[in-house]
Amino acid sequence: MKKISALLAITLSIAVLITLSAISASAADKTVKIGNIIPLSGPSASVGQQGKNAREMAVEEINAAGGIASLGGAKLQMVYADSESKPEKGVGEAERLINTEKVSILTGCWNSAVTYPTTAVAERYGIPFVVPVSVADKITEQGFKNVFRIAAKDSWWTRDQFAFMKDMQAEFNTKIVKIAFVYENGDWGQGFAKQWKKLAAEAGYEIVLDEPYPSTSTDLSPIVQKIRRSKADVLMMVSNAIDAILLTNTINEYKVSLKAIITSGGGHADPSFLKAAGKNAQYLFDIVEWETDVNKAGAKEANEKFKAKYGSNLTGEAVDAYVAMYVIKDALERAGSIESDKIRAALASTNLTSGPGMIVGYDAVAFDKTGQNKHASLVMVQVNDIGKGLERITVWPKNARRAGYTPVFPKP
Amino acid sequence: MLFILEDAINGILMGSIYGLTAMGLTIIFGVLKVINFAHGSLLMIGMYVAYWTVALTGIHPYLSLFIVIPAMYLFGYYLQDIVIKPIFKAEKDVREPITVIIVTTGVWYILDNMTLLFFGPQYRSIDDNPLKGKMMELGEIMISVPKLWGFVTATITAFAIYYFLQYTRMGRAIRATSLDRDAASLSGINQYKIYNIAFGMGTAVAGIAAVTLVPFYNTFPSVGVLFDIKGFIIVVLGGLGSIHGAIIGGMIIGLIESVGPQFMAATWTEAIVYGLFLLVLFVKPSGLFGVKYDW
Repeated sequence: MKKISALLAITLSIAVLITLSAISASAADKTVKIGNIIPLSGPSASVGQQGKNAREMAVEEINAAGGIASLGGAKLQMVYADSESKPEKGVGEAERLINTEKVSILTGCWNSAVTYPTTAVAERYGIPFVVPVSVADKITEQGFKNVFRIAAKDSWWTRDQFAFMKDMQAEFNTKIVKIAFVYENGDWGQGFAKQWKKLAAEAGYEIVLDEPYPSTSTDLSPIVQKIRRSKADVLMMVSNAIDAILLTNTINEYKVSLKAIITSGGGHADPSFLKAAGKNAQYLFDIVEWETDVNKAGAKEANEKFKAKYGSNLTGEAVDAYVAMYVIKDALERAGSIESDKIRAALASTNLTSGPGMIVGYDAVAFDKTGQNKHASLVMVQVNDIGKGLERITVWPKNARRAGYTPVFPKP
Repeated sequence: MLFILEDAINGILMGSIYGLTAMGLTIIFGVLKVINFAHGSLLMIGMYVAYWTVALTGIHPYLSLFIVIPAMYLFGYYLQDIVIKPIFKAEKDVREPITVIIVTTGVWYILDNMTLLFFGPQYRSIDDNPLKGKMMELGEIMISVPKLWGFVTATITAFAIYYFLQYTRMGRAIRATSLDRDAASLSGINQYKIYNIAFGMGTAVAGIAAVTLVPFYNTFPSVGVLFDIKGFIIVVLGGLGSIHGAIIGGMIIGLIESVGPQFMAATWTEAIVYGLFLLVLFVKPSGLFGVKYDW
C-alpha cells in the first residue's frame, strides 16, 4: 500500500509538473515578440517613423482579427530599437533584442549599411530576419539562410529606371544622350551607381558626371554647379531626405536645364520632401515600390486608414513594412510554432498572393533560395500638379499609368 | 577660371556662415574652458525659434533676430545658471572640469530628443520668405542671396563681439575671467555671473547663425549634428577662443568644400577637411589664430 501511494504521489507530481509547464508554455505562446531595428532618430528618423507607423497599423489589424490562430490566437508584440542609422548601433541592438528581449523574428533596418552587418548577427543566432526594404543587393547575397527581403533589390531598381528611359524616348520621340549620376556616398548610392554605369555602357549613353557626395553635406551648391556645367540631358540621383530637398532646391536656384530628373525613392519618396521642395520638385520622375494611386484591392482603404491615423500617405517603405507584418503572420500561421527554424522554414515556403496585407503593386510574395522576394517589381511616378496641388502620379509601366495622364517629358 | 571664382565666392559666403555657427562655441570655450557639445542643439533650438517666429507672423526672416537673440540669450544664460553651474561648483578645484563636458553631452541628447518629441522628424522650411531661392546674377556668376545676407551678418556679428569684448567694461571682465578665473574673482568679478553671460552670448550667437540658415536651409531635430562636427573642426583650425579665427576657419572649410569638388569627387573634400584638421593639431595645436600661451 505504501509503495502504491508513493508511486501515485510521484505520478501525480509528474503530471502536475507537466501540466504546469504546459500552462507556462501556452502562456508564453500568447505573444510572439517581433524585434524591429529602425532609425527612430538621426538623419533617417522621418522614414523610420513611417516604418514604425505602418508596422503598428498592421499589427493592430492582425491582433484585432484574432492574432495567430495556429498558436492559439497569440498576439504579435512589437519591440522597437533605434538604429540612429548607425551600423554599430544596429548590430548592438540586434544582440540585445535576441539575447535580452528574446524576440522570435527581427525586421529592419531601412539603411542598407545598417541591415548588412545586422543580418549577420541574426544569422549567427539563427533568428529569422525579415527585411521589408533595404535595397543593397549584397544583403541577400551573403549565403544566409535567415534573411528574407520583401522589396526589390537595387539592381532591379536600376534595371527598371533604364527600361523607363528607353520607353520614354520611344514614346515621346526625344533622344537622351548625356546622363549625369549624383548619389549619396553610402552603400545604397554606390550600389546604384555601379549598376547605372554598367547599364549606361550597355545602352550607349554618354556619362558626363559621376559624383558621389557625403549625405551629411551642409552645402550642395558645388555639386549642382558640376551638374550645370556637365550639360547633361538626364540627371539620375540617389539621395536621403535632407540632401534631396537641398539638391532639388539648389538645382532650381541655379536654373540647371535638364530633360528629366530620375530619382531612386528614399529621400525623394519621403512625404516631407514634397512639402519642403514644393514647386521645385515638379516634373521629377521617381522610382518607387508603391504609390497611393496603385490599382490594387484594399490599397486605397489602407492608405485612407493610415492617413487618418498618422496624417500622411503610405510610402513605399511603409507599405513594405506593412506587408512584412502580414508575411510574418502568414509564416507564423503555417509554422504553428515560435521555434526559429520552423518559422524560417515557413518563411522560405511563403507564397502570399491575397489577403488584407497584399496591397503591393505586384501579385505575390515568394522567396527564392537567397531569400529575395522574386515577384517584387517597381513603378515610376511623376511629380506634377494637375489641379489638386503637387502629387505623385504613376506613369510607368504604361499599363499601370493613371488613367488620363500624359507624362511631361522632356521637362519644360 | 570664371568657374573657380564662382565657386570661391560661394565657398566664402557659406564658410562665413559655418564660422558664425562655430563662433558661439569659441566664445563659450574661451571663457568657460569647456567644449560645449550641446552647441549644435542650441543652433537647432535657434532655428526652431526663428522658424516658428517667421512661420507664425510672416515677417522677413531677419526681423526674427529681434526675438531670437534675446530668447536665445536668456535660454543660454539660464541653461548655464541652472544646469551647468552646479557641476562647475562641484568641480571647483579642477582646472578643466571634464564632468561639465559630459553634462553638455547630456543636454545635447535631451534637447534633440525633446524637439523630436514635440515637433516630429519633419523637415521644415519657410516657403514664402523673400530670400528663399533668390539668386544674384553678375554676368555668368551666380550668387545666392540668402548666403550673401549670411555673410554680411557673420561679419557684423564678429566685429560687434570683438568690439564688445575689447572696449566695454563687461567685455574686459569677460576677458579677465577667461585669462585667469581665480585672479578675476580676486579682483571682484563674479566668475559664475560671467560664465552665465558668456554662455548666454554663445547661445545668442548660435541663434544669429540659426537665423541666417533658416531662409535657405531646413529645420529638423538633428540639424545641429551636421553643423556641430564642422564647428569643432573650424574652432580648432581657427584657434579655440578666437573670434576672427572662427570666421576665417569657417571660410577655409567653405572654400575647400566649394572649390574642391571641381577637381575631385565631393567625397574627397571631406577627407581633405579632416586631414587639415589633423595637420593643424600636429603642427600648430593652438590653431591658426589661437594664442600661443595656455590660457
